[in-house]
Amino acid sequence: MNYPFWNIPYLGSGWVIGIIAIFHVMISQFAVGGGLYLPMAERKALKEGREDWLKQLQVHSKFFLTITGVYGTVSGVGIWFAIGLTHPEATSTLIHNFVFGWAMEWAFFLVELATAAVYYYTWGKIDRKLHLTVGWVYAGASAATLIIINGILTFMLAPGDTWLSVAGTGKEASVFWHAFFNPTYWPSLFMRTAVCLALAGIWALITSSMIDGDEKPALKTTIVQWSVKWPMASFVIMPFAMIWYLFMVPSSQRALLTLGIDTIGQGTFSTVTRIVLVVIITSATIVGVAYQLGYKNPRDFNLGTAISILLLALMATGAGEYSREMLRKPFVVGQWMYSNGVRVRGPVRSVETYNRDGYLKDSMWVWGGDAATTSSYSRGEAIFRGECSSCHTMDGYRPVRQLLAGRDQQNITNFVKMLHDHKPDSPYIKYMPPMVGSDQDITDLANYLNYQVNPPGAAQQTVTRN
Amino acid sequence: MSQSLPVKSIYSWVDERLGLSDIIAFAKHKTVPAHKHSFWYYWGGISLFLFLVQCVTGVLLLVYYRPGPEAFESVRQITYVMHFGWLIRSAHSWSANLFIFAIMVHMFSVFLMKAYRKPREFGWFSGMALLALATLFGFSGYLLPMDELSYFATKVGLQIPASIPWVGPFVAGILRGGPDVSEFTVERFFALHVVVIPAVFLPLLAFHLWLVQKHGNALPPSEEAKPAAQRKSIPFFPNFARKDLGMWLISLNVLAFLASVFPWQLGRQFDALASAPNGIHPEWYFMAPFEMLKVLGNILPGAAGEIAGILIFTLGIVLWLLIPFYDTSSSRGARARNAHYFGLAAIVLLIATTALGYWAVR
Repeated sequence: MNYPFWNIPYLGSGWVIGIIAIFHVMISQFAVGGGLYLPMAERKALKEGREDWLKQLQVHSKFFLTITGVYGTVSGVGIWFAIGLTHPEATSTLIHNFVFGWAMEWAFFLVELATAAVYYYTWGKIDRKLHLTVGWVYAGASAATLIIINGILTFMLAPGDTWLSVAGTGKEASVFWHAFFNPTYWPSLFMRTAVCLALAGIWALITSSMIDGDEKPALKTTIVQWSVKWPMASFVIMPFAMIWYLFMVPSSQRALLTLGIDTIGQGTFSTVTRIVLVVIITSATIVGVAYQLGYKNPRDFNLGTAISILLLALMATGAGEYSREMLRKPFVVGQWMYSNGVRVRGPVRSVETYNRDGYLKDSMWVWGGDAATTSSYSRGEAIFRGECSSCHTMDGYRPVRQLLAGRDQQNITNFVKMLHDHKPDSPYIKYMPPMVGSDQDITDLANYLNYQVNPPGAAQQTVTRN
Repeated sequence: MSQSLPVKSIYSWVDERLGLSDIIAFAKHKTVPAHKHSFWYYWGGISLFLFLVQCVTGVLLLVYYRPGPEAFESVRQITYVMHFGWLIRSAHSWSANLFIFAIMVHMFSVFLMKAYRKPREFGWFSGMALLALATLFGFSGYLLPMDELSYFATKVGLQIPASIPWVGPFVAGILRGGPDVSEFTVERFFALHVVVIPAVFLPLLAFHLWLVQKHGNALPPSEEAKPAAQRKSIPFFPNFARKDLGMWLISLNVLAFLASVFPWQLGRQFDALASAPNGIHPEWYFMAPFEMLKVLGNILPGAAGEIAGILIFTLGIVLWLLIPFYDTSSSRGARARNAHYFGLAAIVLLIATTALGYWAVR
């Protein structure tokens, strides 16, 4: 047995990151968009002398501080734990490459947290103009965190030729700005900004829906209508930003989106097409519902509807982030590192070295000395964990047992060999990394898989005819 | 109105001939009660929306579906070859299930809000008939792909009509078009699914909607007890219509989410000679009667059990159907309370037997 290992049955480790990240993105993008919403609303209130707005904004800023300062920060740290365990190699690449970027992110994050607290606790206690300035400082700092993280996230999809030319040489950080301002940087920033603005309005609808429309009709009407304008405006920009983004994505990755147009067959990577459909329909619905039930009918706008819109936004965000992650397949860092942490080329932990020396000699979760002495089954299991389990589980998400069902030992061996050979005409080459390792590794993995799919002792499935 | 001149003149041209302004004025005049149970008013509209989705997707499927010996192959092509064929099929199947679910929610909410009382008895009867037709839509549509699951589930499902005393075997024989489920059955079910049932369903639906329009939304007893001045209402147009539309949009999203993330699968082609795969059972909305018949069959073995089951079940439905005559608009106290308990018991029984059924075939 090799320790430690990171094994999440049924759900798969990818989803551990996914669940935390989707939750985090919902809140962090609210933190950025809401950061602009608050001072803009405050400025409007001061300019137009709306005292009732200021009171409502105080309520909203408490909600804002709690949601972003508690749930946003905790889930952000959670992502680090999850990616460190699931993708140690990729996490290491990101840290080494963007040391300066992370430092900036951290600095702005501190400013963001501090000003959010100051903003809430100084309502009515400091000069109104100064209070508004605190709001603007928050808005600037939170926008900066997006501007930075966007460079790092988009880098993973399309690192750009300059970075790729020095990847693996140890001089990667010297081309920091090339990696940062990679081909998808601007369209992605544009798109994420639009999402942040939309979420600012959508979250604000939660607090404004709780205003009693019969008691304070003017306040409710104006604030609900003003909040609805945020997602409305953002959804006008969004389709254009999305098209621009897809245009900048490498064409091999873009092609992944079309795999599910004509099939739902298992193992064909058709899910991503379907998930993109969810993004489109939920986004369109948010606009429709927010306009019809919010803008046109502000006094009756209730918490139930506001929560429905928020849930739709959660669905759209989740589906959007999922699609973005899937667009990167078979890589975790585009053209450089496969989604199981194996490098495309280079002298360390790459396809070449693993094929030459065997996978277990330098695998992240295995003690090199043990590899040769354990059984074929244990070696196969270790290879499965290292090479397959960042995307597959045995019985849950992308279940290998089900995907290989009906194949016998020979057939499974041929399949593993096909993944190993990674020939250009293989249908899996578009979204699966090659299986790396020696001939012995192929045999060990195939043995292990065969044991799982066709357990010894289980009756061969026969079709009885009557 | 800030409409431009051509739009205005086209509108007045049409208005003069069709009287649109009268309809709008009428709709604006109409009101819908607003209270804490208002949420349940949307379920009829949601059912209607899901029916419309099925009409549209059904017509699209009709273009490529071929009943008879090629049934499975044509569905295979729709699911695995045609662009977005899977989406249309998936939306059709999911909306069918959601449709029946929405009707059931609608029915139970009507029951518990006592909306079947005078003068809405015909609304209750026509609604029940529509539910019955909806399940027939489901039953006939389920077989059409002719995969392993639908073939064997239909075989099992036909046991329910077959167990009706005297006429049962005859009816089942007519439905099957022979001693066993075959391509003749598919052709019959297809005719039922796209011609016969719609021909009955559509006029009945029109009647049902006309009644809803004629009598308006019923007030639940708790609201009726309030003095008129305390009751709140909102205009049907645009306020209620807008909320209704919002609900339709949300339903569309639930449907799109289910259809995309859990696309309706297609099994292997049926093989009449093979043994049935494990865990074959009817669709969820037939699970309750199926399980009740099974349980009674265990208590009273043989034909007696079957007959008793059918009798009890029929009696239950008849009582359910006749509830407006028992719990009338003038009834207070015991009868109203009994009807309420009857409704709750029906819900519990339905959920319990369905759960039991799934537990048994797990």
